[in-house]
Amino acid sequence: MASIDIIKDKCVGCRRCVGACPFGAIEIVEKKAAIKDACTLCGSCVESCKFNAINFARDETVKHDLSEYKGIWVFAEQRYGKLKTVSLELLGKAGELSAQLNVSVTAILLGHGIDNLADELIACGADEVLLMDDDRLNDFNDHVYGEAIIDLIGEYKPEIVLVGATSKGRSLAPHISSALKTGLTADCTALGIDIESKLLVQTRPAFGGNLMAEIICPNNRPQMATVRPKVFKPLEPDYNRKGKITKIKKQPAEGLVKLVRNIDNAEGLTLSDAEIIVSVGRGMGSAKNIRLAKELADVLGGALGSSRPVVDMGWMPYSQQVGQTGKTVAPKIYIACGISGAIQHLAGLADIDTIIAVNQDPDAPIFKVADYGIVGDVNEILPALIEKLKKSAK
Amino acid sequence: MDNNTFIKMYGEYLRDESRQVGNAESIAFPKTEAEIISTVKEMSRKDIQITTQGARTGLAASAVPYKGHIINLSKMNKVTGARYDEEKDSFFLTVQPGVLLSELRKYISNKSFNANNWDEQSVNALKYMEKNQWFYSTDPTETSASMGGIASCNASGAKSYRYGSAREHITGLRVVLADGDVLNIKRGQYIADGDSKFHIATESGREIKGQLPKYKMPDVRKNTSGYYNMPGMDMIDLFIGSDGTLGIISEIEIELSKTQKVNWGVTIFMPDEDKAVDLVRALRQEITVDNINLELNPSAIEFFSHNALCMLRDQQKTNAAFSNIQEIKDIYHTAVYIEIESDSNDEVWTEIEKLGDVINGLGGNEDETWVAYNPANLEKLHYFRHACPECVNMQIDNIKKTDNRITKLGTDMSVPDNKLKDAMKMYNEGIEENNLTAVIFGHIGNNHLHVNIIPQNMSEYKKGKELFLIWAGKIAAMGGAVSAEHGVGKLKVPFLKKMYNEEELNEMRKLKKLFDPAQIFNRGTIFEFEEDVK
Amino acid sequence: MRIIVCIKQVPGTNEVKIDPDTNTIIRENVPAIINPFDTYAIEEAVRIKERAGAEVYGLSMGIPAAAEMLKEAISLRIDKGILMTDRKFAGADTLATSYALSKGIEKIGEFDLIICGKQATDGDTAQVGPSLAGALGIAYATDISKIVEIKPDKMHCLKITDDGYEEIEIKLPALITVVKEINMPGLPSIKSMKAATNSKIEILTFEDINADENRLGLKGSPTQVRKTFVPVHEANNEMIEGTLDEKAGKLSEILLKLRTEVK
Repeated sequence: MASIDIIKDKCVGCRRCVGACPFGAIEIVEKKAAIKDACTLCGSCVESCKFNAINFARDETVKHDLSEYKGIWVFAEQRYGKLKTVSLELLGKAGELSAQLNVSVTAILLGHGIDNLADELIACGADEVLLMDDDRLNDFNDHVYGEAIIDLIGEYKPEIVLVGATSKGRSLAPHISSALKTGLTADCTALGIDIESKLLVQTRPAFGGNLMAEIICPNNRPQMATVRPKVFKPLEPDYNRKGKITKIKKQPAEGLVKLVRNIDNAEGLTLSDAEIIVSVGRGMGSAKNIRLAKELADVLGGALGSSRPVVDMGWMPYSQQVGQTGKTVAPKIYIACGISGAIQHLAGLADIDTIIAVNQDPDAPIFKVADYGIVGDVNEILPALIEKLKKSAK
Repeated sequence: MDNNTFIKMYGEYLRDESRQVGNAESIAFPKTEAEIISTVKEMSRKDIQITTQGARTGLAASAVPYKGHIINLSKMNKVTGARYDEEKDSFFLTVQPGVLLSELRKYISNKSFNANNWDEQSVNALKYMEKNQWFYSTDPTETSASMGGIASCNASGAKSYRYGSAREHITGLRVVLADGDVLNIKRGQYIADGDSKFHIATESGREIKGQLPKYKMPDVRKNTSGYYNMPGMDMIDLFIGSDGTLGIISEIEIELSKTQKVNWGVTIFMPDEDKAVDLVRALRQEITVDNINLELNPSAIEFFSHNALCMLRDQQKTNAAFSNIQEIKDIYHTAVYIEIESDSNDEVWTEIEKLGDVINGLGGNEDETWVAYNPANLEKLHYFRHACPECVNMQIDNIKKTDNRITKLGTDMSVPDNKLKDAMKMYNEGIEENNLTAVIFGHIGNNHLHVNIIPQNMSEYKKGKELFLIWAGKIAAMGGAVSAEHGVGKLKVPFLKKMYNEEELNEMRKLKKLFDPAQIFNRGTIFEFEEDVK
Repeated sequence: MRIIVCIKQVPGTNEVKIDPDTNTIIRENVPAIINPFDTYAIEEAVRIKERAGAEVYGLSMGIPAAAEMLKEAISLRIDKGILMTDRKFAGADTLATSYALSKGIEKIGEFDLIICGKQATDGDTAQVGPSLAGALGIAYATDISKIVEIKPDKMHCLKITDDGYEEIEIKLPALITVVKEINMPGLPSIKSMKAATNSKIEILTFEDINADENRLGLKGSPTQVRKTFVPVHEANNEMIEGTLDEKAGKLSEILLKLRTEVK
């Protein structure tokens, strides 16, 4: 059985591993490290040891024949006949990866009456599009889509399958990986190929983004990942690009979940799409002051987000909550208005180029992560700022 | 500066949280005690009255000026020193009157002070702070209150059930008198003798000698109605709760308490008000239920009337601001909230198990309780507690749109332990007879409930005010106090007359004149002077 | 009706301190808590129980100490706590975890509904719910924000998505994952805490479930952590000083410049 063991001769009792263990499962007994029951075999301690005193014995895993798996697949998510940007971003990245592996890029397109999207996928980097058009695929459905893709993977055997980490993608991908008994890495922010092993290296945040982990899936295929929107850039569409469109003629499965109706948000710009987010915290003082932040967001062409206390107090809807129990966002600019910056809030801030913070309290933790900070009353600074921005717009 | 300009520039300083608006001709914002002294001397010379202000969060209009000059202490907002008593393992801080409670709490919990101008002893004392977690136990709901205001009205709060009021934790005061002389009093320094005679020396060496009044204070757990008076009393207590009428507090030394390791909260829903009061009595160990000896020693015992719960339940359905309160079920009638501090979870739990049996024994149901044993859950119960006054304020704000003369009507009276049921009966009957809408909540452990009347129109507002005066008379007759924690200020001067007769009030006036012969400080607060009434 | 709630024990905070010398993480021994999202799952199950009558089981896989956490779940009014604990389960990724849970659930037997929190705050993968449904071969829906109606054979829910909401109908038995919006978890009562104190947590080890050892724990986990590192977000940390007007002026210049870069 797999185990983590301390090599007593090498251990000097330096305590580095004690601190490194996320589960408090190591203690020092008679000047030597000792692994307690709480160990989850996560391996965090192995790296922390400077004396090679920790042995991580992995079991021999069952080897599968992986050689027949070739090519990179991207799930082309569409809604109302429009492709999600993240799918195009993934095609661009898949192109880079495929060059290193010398394989082709395939887009999986499911839906009804969406033939025209195949050309767009080819223009954005797909070498082949597997197109499945059926009445039953009209609305996205975890089970129906999932079973169809499982079938296709079984037949075509791709080595890598990438899915956008949208709400649908994150719901769909585990269904597929579970059926195929393969690995799936959630919410990746970087992808690469290890030159030697030709494995996909998937980087994802752990512990609320306080730590990054590089994940590999060496013994199972396909290697699957969901990838956050906006971490890669889509290719400039080139409609002269050549590619193959393969229509799949198969009857999709029947769904176990029935969509009764869609209730779409009225606002056009969602938090996950926005390049600029103005976010409000308790420091706004009252619900009515939130209109100031809304005005700033409008002037800048951004979306309005919020911290948890503001949602708890009913000033903002839950759909706009950023943070650990809300949404993870990755705009280019994030303006935190009256947000103190508790760790739970910061966990919702992914790759953000510029964080701007306005807060009355100079000791607020948000200033530690902010690129620009202003100490002061948001309700005075926002009107002044809006006025300046409006003036320069003229 | 003409009066219009003054009002335009400093209008906000003419009012406080009581929503009363006064009048004044000038204002100063001293930064040091020396500046207070020079202003006081100047005003004394010119015979101009002075109203002292802190953060203006008071509910009894103490900080609202009638006329003359305002001394606003908000710029004296520094913690100026620290002291550690090794023998008693006690920690003390010296603060200026303008320090806000919220700021003070932050400094203490972070153990971080701006000690640049501190003397060596103070700086050395700080290292003893590291040994423990400390807190300042006086906890009025309004955390933007100033320390000067807290001392002046002898503020308290929910935890005063266990920790007592501000008085119990003030160990030193500096008070600027009308002639510019300063009293520097430490607790234990000046004690009135057996014949109720006292003497206090000023910094310049002047001896102030006097005789304590004969009136007896009510025998209640919480009282800030008029001057503190007790045979053999510590003279520092005269100044605490004196509403700024004797001098200007320029520095306060407070004693901190040690934070205990665990803090629990329990909200208990009882099937009717009578049973809720019985539960309070059991918690206070006045009665035993099924021979269970309850030794919970809560730090706070709070109450929410049936109407208060109904109001919250209604708001919960319509107002998103209250959506994070857990569901207040229809069967919940009246609520009692307790908070317990201890060093051991096991000890608290043993008592809570007994509490469950007591609740059942009283005809309640131990399943109709909300228990919080960690900070995150405790915050939920605090949110629930604060939602009550918040709800009342929101409704008053709405009514104000129809008539802006209407303000919040809230009582602040306390009674002796054995009169609690009588007082509650009196409140309920008064509300019902006058057909008024009211919610009752507050510090039932100290027999101190806030009755909040929500007047729907001006006629109800007037009815409510009249009712309050009637209640003040009845409370006084029960041996209660007309003000338990807000102070008499200017608003409750008529109430105090129900508690003390003219002769007794004259004794208070005499005491004031001893320290403030020309009566320049906060005139019209606690009592009027004949010449002003005319 | 029987409802199974999947509950995970997670560290109480994700705060990570970095040892500047070794550049490794230092984690204080933070207390373990019920995964916050799972508290919504527990509450929802309990509400169904109170409304329609149901038996609610809490199922967790973890170290032996997680039994205490399941007792806490009992204080939140679930009926029974079951802990899967065995060294053979340790080191599991989401696939191995969902496989193990599916075997634990097979051991429990009949059920109508499984409720999971949207994700666990230590891993944030949101994969175990859908994977578990896959392993059990049942219907599932993620990110449920409201259960409108529940009948013996189907339920009617609202699901939150990137674009808004979907109103859906799910055939039972099924698995749902729930978001914070679904409810406001209640606190325990003295009675429910007494029940928790007197409760006994049922333990399931490898011997108790009919599982393939090769698919459990580290051995059964296709994904491996190759390395971990601390992300470098070098904040510029520039404080904008001046009068109100100056502050607003400087910030507006910065914003206008940044915005042209974005567009």
